[in-house]
Amino acid sequence: MSKVIEVENLSKIYKGNIKAVDDISFDVNAGELFGFLGPNGAGKTTTIKLLTTLASITSGKATVLGYDVTKHPNMVRKSIGIVPQDLTIDNELKGIENVMLAAKLYRVPNQIAKKRVKNLLELVGLNDAASRLVSTYSGGMRKRLELIVGLVHEPKVLFMDEPTLGLDVNTRKIIWDYIRKLNIDKRVTIFMTTHYLEEADALCDVAAIIDRGKIRAQGSPQELKEIIGGELLTIELTKDRDLQDFFSSINGVKEVKKSGSTYGIKLGQAEDAIPVIIEGIYGRGIKIKALSCSKPSLDQVFLEVTGKEFREEEFAAAALRRQDIIARRG
Amino acid sequence: MLTETWALTVRELKKWIRTPATVFIALFQPIVWLALFGSAFNPTNLIPVSIGPTNLTPEVLAQIRQSILSQTFGNAPNYITYLTGGILSLLLLFTSAFSGGSLVLDRRFGYLNKLLVSPIPRASIFLSRVFATVVKGMIPSLIVFFVALSIPDGLKLDPSFSLLDGLLLFLTLFLLSLGFSSLFTAIAIRMTKWESLVAVVNLLNLPLLFSSSALLPVTSMPDWLQAIAKINPISKAADVTRTLIVQGSVDLSSMMFDMTYLIAFAAILTIAGGIASVIALRTE
Repeated sequence: MSKVIEVENLSKIYKGNIKAVDDISFDVNAGELFGFLGPNGAGKTTTIKLLTTLASITSGKATVLGYDVTKHPNMVRKSIGIVPQDLTIDNELKGIENVMLAAKLYRVPNQIAKKRVKNLLELVGLNDAASRLVSTYSGGMRKRLELIVGLVHEPKVLFMDEPTLGLDVNTRKIIWDYIRKLNIDKRVTIFMTTHYLEEADALCDVAAIIDRGKIRAQGSPQELKEIIGGELLTIELTKDRDLQDFFSSINGVKEVKKSGSTYGIKLGQAEDAIPVIIEGIYGRGIKIKALSCSKPSLDQVFLEVTGKEFREEEFAAAALRRQDIIARRG
Repeated sequence: MLTETWALTVRELKKWIRTPATVFIALFQPIVWLALFGSAFNPTNLIPVSIGPTNLTPEVLAQIRQSILSQTFGNAPNYITYLTGGILSLLLLFTSAFSGGSLVLDRRFGYLNKLLVSPIPRASIFLSRVFATVVKGMIPSLIVFFVALSIPDGLKLDPSFSLLDGLLLFLTLFLLSLGFSSLFTAIAIRMTKWESLVAVVNLLNLPLLFSSSALLPVTSMPDWLQAIAKINPISKAADVTRTLIVQGSVDLSSMMFDMTYLIAFAAILTIAGGIASVIALRTE
């Protein structure tokens, strides 16, 4: 597989000695959906800015499609698409005008642009709304339009910064579907950032966990979950029976702890293991009094790979740092 | 560069036309100014018709008054005629002052970043605002010109005023607008807040206006102010348009210096503003 993005020892230090990105290295292969996972202020947006030529590199090297972002910014710009964190669609233009304007700026010949725009609008289900002013769109519609505005010039790589930030659960799932479609049907390599673990889980082939400018862990969502230790299944039985050996023998169970009639079972792959566990319990004529299953959350991932809690102060401090950077950059 | 500049200029103009209130105000405001300055604030009324018990006959008094007026306001038959060129210059100054406004908003809403990650020449971001603003100023100025002509006791053109004079008049206004739009766009290129822009515009607008011959003749000013007024491009534009209106282009040579001055003003500010913008929009 050819490498579409190559990053070597990349650092970005803003004025005031703020290390936004601290010596990170990673590769993104062609066709991959690569996720950058981390809390606010971790350095995700800065990384995107460096890769999309919006911010200059302090040290290290980054290439996109073989073009060095510092030496050949215009070649990089021609070959990438971007879906920024903020909604940057022009409200006072019609949906189709926004997309056609992008086509003009990327010098897509008019006839080709018209065809592409029609297809793209169909892809995200905005055909009927295309001739309406964007100010009449819902948040989800705007995001969908935003997705395709970055695609009229058929870029090989698409950068998406928090594509579902602030959207409700249903809309988020719809956007996920479109992102998958772009990745698979249009064969676009996608680099996205998110602070939702479930988003990285649902979409990404590879995810890197970033905190305070450093990559703490990297791998497929499955591999990352296994670092955390997977889901925790808590079962309370009606009787105190020793099932430790049985639970330990099941494929996908990593650790079993017993406390009276309650078992805490750490699972690698919950989907496969839970039915086997339940059938086993019932097969032994035992009844379950209570059962709960907790999925690994960002808190747990974070705790595991950074060794510290993902507390509110952390959020606040990170948010402040970020605001500071935004104010500085304007 | 032309393709991108044109595409972005069209974006600005579409947004302008789609907000009829601003278009309406752009037309309405200078007409109100004409009416207000031209009537209520009419300085010719300050010259008395009679001066109490005197040996002078009313005929002599009228002659004196007329001679004071023509010495002060040139050969303008009324104050509105004197004022129209000034008001048109003023209109273009005021519309140009906010030429950077959409840039500030684009920066705030992230649209500018989207432009910056696209492979467009940076100068097209600057030029599109400048050209759009020039159009947004020139269209109302044309309408105001015809309104001033049509109101009773309004603008009275010299009988020799030709189509060529009309073209020269609007060329003058175009140059003024181009220069100021470039200046104010360049000022706004790094701004993040609308409030800062309003503050700068307020800081510059009225001093630029009152240190010019747009509303009153330079001769009515103290020496130090006259010195400033003489190099103020608004004075140049007001003087040229006024001369064209009052006497036509009989004396082209007297206008040559002012026109050259305005061409230089527009060219220098457009080029300097363009270069400053390209530098300001470089990757940090």
